Amino acid sequence: MKQTEQFILSEADLRRRKFFAILGQTFLFAITSVAALAVLAIIFFIARDALPFFSGSRTWAFFTSKEWYPTSATPKFGAAAIFAGSFIVTLTAVLFAVPPGILAAVCLSDLLPFNVRQVVKPVVEILAAIPSVVYGFFALVVLAPFLQDTLGAASGVNALNASIILAIMALPTIVSVSEDALQAAGRELREGSYALGATRAETLLKVVIPSAMSGIFSAVLLGIMRALGETMVVWMASGNAAQIPSPFYNLLQPIRTLTATIAGDMGEADQMTGSAHYHVLFAMGLSLLIFSFLCNLAGEWVVNRQRKRLRGA
Amino acid sequence: MTMWKRKLLDRLFSGSAYGAIAVMAFFLVIVIGPIFLKGIGAYLFEGTIDYRRMMLNQFNRGDEQVLDVEWAEVKQERKIIYDALFAFEKELDNMSSSRRRELKPAFKQTKEAVAILLGPEPGTPLPALPRRLYGQTRWERAELKAKDVLFEESWDYSGAQGKKVMTPRAPLFKGTALEPLFSKVEKDLESLMRPERTFYPQFLTDKSIDAHFFGGIGPEVMGTIYLALGAMLIAVPLGVIAAIYFQEYAKEGFVFSLLRSCVNTLAGVPSVVFGLFGLAFFINTLRVSPGKSVVAGALTLALLVLPTVIRAAEEAIASVPHTYKEAALSLGAGKWRTILTVILPAALPGILTGIVISMGRAAGETAPIIFTAAVSVGPIVLPSEIFTTSTPALSWNLYNICTEHEAVDEIRHVQYGMALTLVMIVLALNTLAIVLRAKVSRKLKG
Repeated sequence: MKQTEQFILSEADLRRRKFFAILGQTFLFAITSVAALAVLAIIFFIARDALPFFSGSRTWAFFTSKEWYPTSATPKFGAAAIFAGSFIVTLTAVLFAVPPGILAAVCLSDLLPFNVRQVVKPVVEILAAIPSVVYGFFALVVLAPFLQDTLGAASGVNALNASIILAIMALPTIVSVSEDALQAAGRELREGSYALGATRAETLLKVVIPSAMSGIFSAVLLGIMRALGETMVVWMASGNAAQIPSPFYNLLQPIRTLTATIAGDMGEADQMTGSAHYHVLFAMGLSLLIFSFLCNLAGEWVVNRQRKRLRGA
Repeated sequence: MTMWKRKLLDRLFSGSAYGAIAVMAFFLVIVIGPIFLKGIGAYLFEGTIDYRRMMLNQFNRGDEQVLDVEWAEVKQERKIIYDALFAFEKELDNMSSSRRRELKPAFKQTKEAVAILLGPEPGTPLPALPRRLYGQTRWERAELKAKDVLFEESWDYSGAQGKKVMTPRAPLFKGTALEPLFSKVEKDLESLMRPERTFYPQFLTDKSIDAHFFGGIGPEVMGTIYLALGAMLIAVPLGVIAAIYFQEYAKEGFVFSLLRSCVNTLAGVPSVVFGLFGLAFFINTLRVSPGKSVVAGALTLALLVLPTVIRAAEEAIASVPHTYKEAALSLGAGKWRTILTVILPAALPGILTGIVISMGRAAGETAPIIFTAAVSVGPIVLPSEIFTTSTPALSWNLYNICTEHEAVDEIRHVQYGMALTLVMIVLALNTLAIVLRAKVSRKLKG
């Protein structure tokens, strides 16, 4: 009788346990909220320091004018050329990276035997792990002289150089996310297609890749985000001239991007009190944030639509 | 479509897929290769007598007596050069004015080139900059600088692009007292410089002298370690707790999906925006430090790696078999106790993998620390100064010394050495992660 009593908790013990359980859970929730809400804090503080810039005529000039003279006596903050620069290198990099990225993902998921894959996967991981400043160093010291000598560009640091390096950096992201999507497409689909007599290329191109399209799409979006948000490479390799190349597809001309402008100009801007130059850089940061949110939203929308379609089918 | 066409297309497709993998491997080799090959040169190179003298004077390393003997011998060798310079200067005074006008500029250039190759002439006042106190310390630089003594460099702009033309100086000075100088430098450079295979492991820990002309990258390495460790100290507790909450406590619903998408969004914020946030929030609003500091940088980096840590910890917790948890609960352990004594230990290797990878990321990031922690030149930061002092760091200083340094071409070996060191730190952490993960998957297979 006495022994069993030891295993039954008293009322007070139970209450204490419950209290501590709730306390613990609240603590966990609080910490998690801090971690998660950091992103809201980021939006708030970037927007707070960006808003003073957007007053009257400056806003219009910011998006339309090409005159970027932030440190002259009458400063001009026309960032159109800088937006165009970001757009050009990102687009070119993604165009370079997507075809080999998807092909490499196909190879990893469907062609290579298991033990070869174990060797190839670390290659992808190491490409992803190399710090961006090291890529920038490579672009500046190895690739730039090479481009100058072989293509006869006026300067080796130009839009093409930055795009090539950004493509190399976006590749691992595109490869690993598309590979997950291709593998998720499932065995039955492939076997069904083979059973109908399709070759491997036909199976992959007409059955597997279309069914993994949403995953591949989000892989491309992640690649875009990686290229758009990258700072050091474009700062070191793009030439940093605030101009729109003429014609716009002339990649051998130097350009300037949003990220490089923020990184390069923040040293000159008055950091403590906040000049117009300081605020315009935050306005650029805010634009970058909004772009990446839009990419995120687009990605989630596509994934949700796919999920619904699969559930409906 | 005929059968052979379909087969051909199939082959082509497979071939291009294999090709894509080959392209990636090629990129890896192309990027890592030069950094690896030339980066070794910062640690292992042919050091000249001037290198050994610099080491003795600046770092007090090496055997003074041996060096004294060697230095006396080299001085004897170099005397020929200095004698030639001295004799020619006298000869110049007695020349016809037209001949003097012809030779004097070239002589001045030669004299300057000799001073760069061999260091200041004995008996002249010592220059203020440490980089001018010694001759060339590295053999390959010495060979390059010897060319400046022997040849006159000019540019030919007749073509579309300028072409470098090297004209030997020796014929100009034929028959003068300066002539022996050129043959000496051309034929006897080795005995003038005394190159010796040198291993310089202290490159990793030494301070830099005169903006990286001499010395090592100690402050940068320490700064990177501070920042990466600091970021992990902040991010790991937050991240693991959040992962426990997401996996074990949170229930599907509005709050859950809000927190979830917040974390996902955080992962997509560009790194330079983290830097702006660190400046606006940690430094200008919270004022954790009066200006840039190690702590502000570590906090910013912690936010950057937080999503990675959370995701890795969540995956590790989710992969712990359900039976473990059920067994613990059936033995009467509470939820807390189950998490602390059963789930976390089982998930530990997986969590560690995520931590190690994130640490590599934190060590390599540059953009977030530009406005929050990094400084171009500085001594090694002491642990007591982390709240007040900014620090050099490998990533930022690699950018700095290959773009903003006043003599970018002179210190290529330091740039490559720094790049190699950074890559090796990151790769070592990643290799550790791969090994850890292999262990986990073996354990889970049983």
